[in-house]
Amino acid sequence: MMNKTTKWILWSVLLVFLIIYPLVFGIYYTNVFVTFAIAALYAVAIQMLLGFTGFLSFGHAMYFGVGAYGTAIALVHIKGLPLIVSVLFGFASALLLALVMAPLVVRLSVTAFAMIHMAFGMLAYTLALKLRNITGGEDGIGAFPIPPLRIPGVFSIDMTDPTNFYYFAMVILGVSIWILWFVTKTPFGCLMVGIRDNANRIDYLGFKLPQTKAVLYLLVGGFAGIAGSIFALFQNLISAMELYIMHSFIQIMQIMVGGIGSFFGPILGAGVFAVLEELTSRYTQRVELVIGLILILVIMYFPTGLIGMYHHFKTRFFTRQAD
Amino acid sequence: MSILETKELSHDFKGLWALRNVGLQVKEGERHAIIGPNGAGKTTLFNVITGTYVPSKGNVFFKGNDVTKAKPNEMVRLGMGRSFQITSTFSRLTAFENIRMAVLSKRGIRFNLFKQVDKMNDVTEETDAILKRINLDGERDIPASALSYGKSRSLEISMALATDPDIVMLDEPTAGMSRDETHTAVELVRRLTEGKTTVIIEHDMDVVFSLADRITVLHHGEILAVGTPGEIEKNQEVKDAYLGEMEV
Repeated sequence: MMNKTTKWILWSVLLVFLIIYPLVFGIYYTNVFVTFAIAALYAVAIQMLLGFTGFLSFGHAMYFGVGAYGTAIALVHIKGLPLIVSVLFGFASALLLALVMAPLVVRLSVTAFAMIHMAFGMLAYTLALKLRNITGGEDGIGAFPIPPLRIPGVFSIDMTDPTNFYYFAMVILGVSIWILWFVTKTPFGCLMVGIRDNANRIDYLGFKLPQTKAVLYLLVGGFAGIAGSIFALFQNLISAMELYIMHSFIQIMQIMVGGIGSFFGPILGAGVFAVLEELTSRYTQRVELVIGLILILVIMYFPTGLIGMYHHFKTRFFTRQAD
Repeated sequence: MSILETKELSHDFKGLWALRNVGLQVKEGERHAIIGPNGAGKTTLFNVITGTYVPSKGNVFFKGNDVTKAKPNEMVRLGMGRSFQITSTFSRLTAFENIRMAVLSKRGIRFNLFKQVDKMNDVTEETDAILKRINLDGERDIPASALSYGKSRSLEISMALATDPDIVMLDEPTAGMSRDETHTAVELVRRLTEGKTTVIIEHDMDVVFSLADRITVLHHGEILAVGTPGEIEKNQEVKDAYLGEMEV
């Protein structure tokens, strides 16, 4: 067990690392890190649904995408929109979609849940392609103004500067991940894992299943939307491709590699994917080939993912055998 | 005064009438056993009463309210606890977390997203007290799936009781247990349900006659006899039903 001091030291080291990272590694790797952090929040949100509550979704790219479009469209059409409000626009549009979807999906079985999401995910993708005057179709929406972060009369920070944007993104994404982590520690978090283990018993203990799932569903949708919103601001471009089904699968793969059922697994998985992509793209364009291979190896030898592997070796080498 | 009553309760599984005109009456404060040969409809009766199924015909009354169409979670909120014949715990959660789930429900903590559950000291204390009472304090942090069969049955029963219900429905608490385990389980049930209205399905006749105040005998979905253990023991029809079963 870690004691309090070690924990504080670890957190401080992480914080210092995050602060000095852009100064040490330069603009290119700063941007790589932001991409990773966006993927991490997205994957953590999906993990709440998949690893904690046991519901697989093949279509959560639509929440990511709607969050991104929400922010981009708001910035295109509303002049002088503050930065934070534009993120809230992304969050709210994803939340709204989740609110519409929730009554439809909370009573479904696990398989039906996955397939319905695949269908709606593809529908969202097609809509984004076809509704050209709203979404810009294949070209998407690009080059919309990125407002500075400012409190009038106090300060104004230019967000087109990658280093400034890095700090902004880290705060939003970090706080979001922290909120999700906190939720897993509350009584509601207990309910989530209870539903995963034995939904019937949850009902027989007096909890309302559909309502509980609905609250979780809103939470997951909303935070996937925040990830999308930051993505739109970061790229200054959002196109229908972000809604494509692969963007629902990749997060599931990251969770599998990182460790299903563990909160920090998806962050690790997203990190592994970011590094792999960075390294392999130097030599070949077939990044997916390497990622697929890693996924197969993990599933074959460590179905519990890298976090599971860590625990396995820890107990093997660092626990004294009973005599 | 009956706390639980069914009137002309019938349930049809696509042509198979698992229950026919069952009029069960459970008085407040008694231990009521439901016995009957395999396939008599005992578990179906439980499922219909606790809300798994809506009966094809008839009504269920609990504390004077018509609860025929109530869902399981509504029945629990009205004050009914239920355990299952096939152990139905949260297998990957520890014994402590299993009981805590019931304690949270009892305290009405359902959508709390703002306080860490580990910091709710009253919940932790109550859960630990329950674990101590059922002799599971030694297995506090062991996953339910790793408990011995007897211990996991204890956990199963205690979860039904931990919501502090007014009536508790136990579906074969000693199912699949060895003689020793049965003895321990019966003592546990006796201790935990003291003064509490209990409906219990049981196969083991020794258990039934030592625990129950009154017995209802089900046979082919119908009530064959109702009475005290002494009356049931002497009833010729009941003997025939069980002996007939043995010949098959």
